[in-house]
Amino acid sequence: MVAAARANGLDLIAVTDHNAAGMVEEVARAARATGLHVLPGIEVETQEEVHLLVYFDDLSSCRDFAAEVYSFLPDRANDPELFGDQVVVDADETIVHTEARLLLNALGLSLEEVVARGAGRGGLVVPAHVDRTPYGLVTQLGFGPEGLRFPLVEVDGSFRPEECGPGAVLWSSDAHVPEDIGSRVSVFRMKGPTVDEIRRAALGEGGRSIEIRRGAKRVGTAG
Amino acid sequence: MTLRDIVRQLGLEVVAGAGWLDRDVSGGFSGDLLSNVLAAARPGNLWITIQRHVNVVGVAQVAGLSGVLLAGGEPPAAVVLAKAEEMAIPILLSRDGAFVLAGRLHRILVPDVR
Repeated sequence: MVAAARANGLDLIAVTDHNAAGMVEEVARAARATGLHVLPGIEVETQEEVHLLVYFDDLSSCRDFAAEVYSFLPDRANDPELFGDQVVVDADETIVHTEARLLLNALGLSLEEVVARGAGRGGLVVPAHVDRTPYGLVTQLGFGPEGLRFPLVEVDGSFRPEECGPGAVLWSSDAHVPEDIGSRVSVFRMKGPTVDEIRRAALGEGGRSIEIRRGAKRVGTAG
Repeated sequence: MTLRDIVRQLGLEVVAGAGWLDRDVSGGFSGDLLSNVLAAARPGNLWITIQRHVNVVGVAQVAGLSGVLLAGGEPPAAVVLAKAEEMAIPILLSRDGAFVLAGRLHRILVPDVR
């Protein structure tokens, strides 16, 4: 992942597994001294089956939030035959943990509750692939709920980014395999890779911006 | 057929919008993806869903639905009920699941189908 990100000229990636954050630390360790910054995060599935990305500055806040998320995950066992193995691996791809509980489930927490809990731990909450069927906020709920304001929303690959103004949308790969890393890229003009800077960039504060890098071509890696 | 007739025949609990039960029901619609409800439900439909998010009320309003029938027994949060009163959207509640409710509703709305 780190090699693919660097080969594609990325300076910042986020690791956001589904209802889990077990892989963040290992990827961050692998990225150390490479110039790649890894933002800790998690993709949470709310009761309404809306996917929310929650980004953090530090690993411990992310871990604490992940533990909170886990406590609201239905206690149903994963069937690896159906859903695959849910593993955490180290740099040598040795399995260091196998999660027994089914992670793909929705939490017993509403959208508003997840937003409040994520923000309460200092996280930046970004609705994921809002226009995707299913699991996007707009798909699941018809429109953005009253009273919730998101500075940034991620859009799906099928979405035409020119329909939105710059800075309002996050154009990112949602890579589930290394081959997809770098397939969609956003350019952040900001002072550093922190969630506060990202929030301010999304709002266009002080010359900061988030723009879609058009025509980004993926570069393959050997390994 | 009015919402009041349906409430009586199906033994439903009215949890919001009791003042608007004289509305005619044009048919039924069942679904939990709100974007799909917006696209496919017809005005006057009674909408069966397990969704409990407050946007259920907004979707029912925008789509011109006669009311919402919540399947599965769990009452919605107070904020949903308040919004429903404000928007004049009757919210009906049943312990039955969506499959059973759709079957029973279909039987009384489209009685000739066997």
